[in-house]
Amino acid sequence: MAEERRGSWFGFGFCGFGQALGSGRGRQVHSPEPLATPGPGADVCRVSASWSYTAVVTRGGQLQLSGAAGGAAGGCRDAWASEALLLVLRAGPAVGPGPELQAWAPDSALRGEPLWTHTLVPEAGQEDAAGGKPQARALPLLPGARAYVSPRPPFYRPLAPELRARRLELGGEHALLLDEAGQVFSWGQGRHGQLGHGTLEATPEPRLLEALQGLPMAEVAAGGWHSVCVSETGDIYVWGWNESGQLALPARSLAEDGKTVAREAGRPHEGDSNMRRTVGSEDGAPAPFIAIQPFPALLDLPQGAEAAQASCGSRHTAVVTRTGELYTWGWGKYGQLGHQDTTSLDRPRRVEYFVDKRLRVRAVSCGLWNTYVYAVEKQESGQPQPRV
Amino acid sequence: MAEDNREPLAGASALREALRALLPPTKEELVPELGAKVEPGVARLLREAAELFCGGRRSECLQASEAVLDYSWEKLNTGPWQDVHKDWRRVYAFGCLLKATCLCDEPGNAPAVAEALRVCDMGLLMGAAIHGDVLLKVAAVLQAHLRSGKRPGAAQEQPSTKKARNTGVSVPDVASERPVPRLRCPSLQQFRKQFLAPGRPVILEGVVDQWPCMTKWSLEYLQEIAGCRTVPVEVGSRYTDEDWSQTLMTVNEFISKYLRDESSDVGYLAQHQLFDQVIGRKYIRLYSPQESEALYPHETHLLHNTSQVDVENPDLERFPRFAEAPFLSCVLSPGEVLFIPVRYWHYVRALDLSFSVSFWWS
Repeated sequence: MAEERRGSWFGFGFCGFGQALGSGRGRQVHSPEPLATPGPGADVCRVSASWSYTAVVTRGGQLQLSGAAGGAAGGCRDAWASEALLLVLRAGPAVGPGPELQAWAPDSALRGEPLWTHTLVPEAGQEDAAGGKPQARALPLLPGARAYVSPRPPFYRPLAPELRARRLELGGEHALLLDEAGQVFSWGQGRHGQLGHGTLEATPEPRLLEALQGLPMAEVAAGGWHSVCVSETGDIYVWGWNESGQLALPARSLAEDGKTVAREAGRPHEGDSNMRRTVGSEDGAPAPFIAIQPFPALLDLPQGAEAAQASCGSRHTAVVTRTGELYTWGWGKYGQLGHQDTTSLDRPRRVEYFVDKRLRVRAVSCGLWNTYVYAVEKQESGQPQPRV
Repeated sequence: MAEDNREPLAGASALREALRALLPPTKEELVPELGAKVEPGVARLLREAAELFCGGRRSECLQASEAVLDYSWEKLNTGPWQDVHKDWRRVYAFGCLLKATCLCDEPGNAPAVAEALRVCDMGLLMGAAIHGDVLLKVAAVLQAHLRSGKRPGAAQEQPSTKKARNTGVSVPDVASERPVPRLRCPSLQQFRKQFLAPGRPVILEGVVDQWPCMTKWSLEYLQEIAGCRTVPVEVGSRYTDEDWSQTLMTVNEFISKYLRDESSDVGYLAQHQLFDQVIGRKYIRLYSPQESEALYPHETHLLHNTSQVDVENPDLERFPRFAEAPFLSCVLSPGEVLFIPVRYWHYVRALDLSFSVSFWWS
């Protein structure tokens, strides 16, 4: 991986519990603000946000909580925040037992004893704790990819050995798995089409997404009731619930509220040439609203931008492009789209803050109602960065 | 819509008093124990909202209640509805109560009061009973306040001059079909022994003759007493249509959109087990649960109690057994009550502009 200048994290959206999100003033932040970092020179490599609190992990292994849950701890490789449980992966000693997985009650402030622990098999020749790609092999997938961890019992869940998992993402009531060959599997509840198999039936075990067979995927993301994946060629596929436009498909609720298109007085937007009103298309027929998309649909970003990474909140979606731009869409009531307002959108819109500040976005991590972004200053040469 | 502020001050404080009287005075009583299912974060926020409410900090309480509502709404939409834990539905109801009451702190503002009533209705539809059904009482107070202030402005025309939408309705030949038995004013024992216990359908005649609604009900009256109340509406002719949907709207909106306008959609208020026909006629067919296989229910879990067969125009090549399935039928007229036993398959088609009242019980 090419060494690059250190970037910084930004946040926007819901912070009603005072969780780290820029200035933290008020209960919502509508435009990206630099994140208050745990300490001088701290280097945050992982952000996991639940609804009422956020967990950040630094490259030095420091875990810091903010919001309804507080506390800090060292020796941490990774953390995954949910309302019911905080899951922490503590680095194991160099020799001897492997890393320890801990489940903490969020309001324990990481003091006392965890609710539950599980010692993992020591890894031979795996990537070291501090380095490695920030998003690869992340929780809830466990090191070794033999199992994953769930915020609901049973906490430790083995995966079938033939599934060679690269990434695993948990949505509100479903799970997505990306394997080494770039194939996507899904399981869980399906009533909102979030499994992508073309039905509304639940699926108890990982099932291959046949619609995407043969298209190698690079990233997956799971939201409250929707799913997103990014192919190796930069295409985006979406499926699941579209009630707030989180699939960037025409949403009835937005049209009825008259808020389909977010507009700022006196400020033209790029990419608005294909601004779409759900009311009419060229031939005057109303575009059909889509509440549920039960199998993957291809989504185009404005100007044919290629996607690099995606993340989903409960009802919104964020995508980072290869050229370092950030697009968001879906539910925007708490400012989680970062467009300086609280309008929901059913089409992708670029977050202008990063363009204006000449920042190149490298990663995005969504909490339920907020969005965290990692960005670096743009290099003068203007060459696109190699994809991390 | 112009506001009618005839008595702003007297009405305003009267409303505030009436609402405060319905609510417990302290924050501990306002939001009691929430249950183990409710996570500490949202429990804390709800208690904070109650504290803000009791402290008179209205706009902050509104903000906190809004977040509680949005969070619990997500819980209500997770998993099948019957599995949603009552604790979450209570949280949702508490959120609605606080939000509705805060909105009414400006009682001269009629749109805010109408919105508060809508919020109460959402709490009644999706929440669970709290504080002895306080939302019912709050809704009643709000409704009375709205009615005294102004008339609902939705419909101005008389129903007789406006052509009711009736697109070539065909009346089935009921005489050639096996009729649902009819009883005139049976005793409760007779009804229970002969129909309720064995699960047999029957039409009860004469049981609602004394009912005021038979003489009073008209669209105007409906709008007057319930126009601003929110109800669930199913849009679309059949559950299995691609563009079938369920949505929430006020009775005013329902009447103006589906009963008066030239909307091409069909809408009807969801109906249940004891069918009370009030206005217009309905053609109804009943198939016993024993005939379920001949009705070819959908295989998916979601539609497993919906038949694939188009009852009055069946595709007998795909559904051959349907032709042999025995059924009872009737045309239900105003004043008649149809008892539909549990799990009975029923097909309903309105023959006129039609209104019924229904009751579920178990």
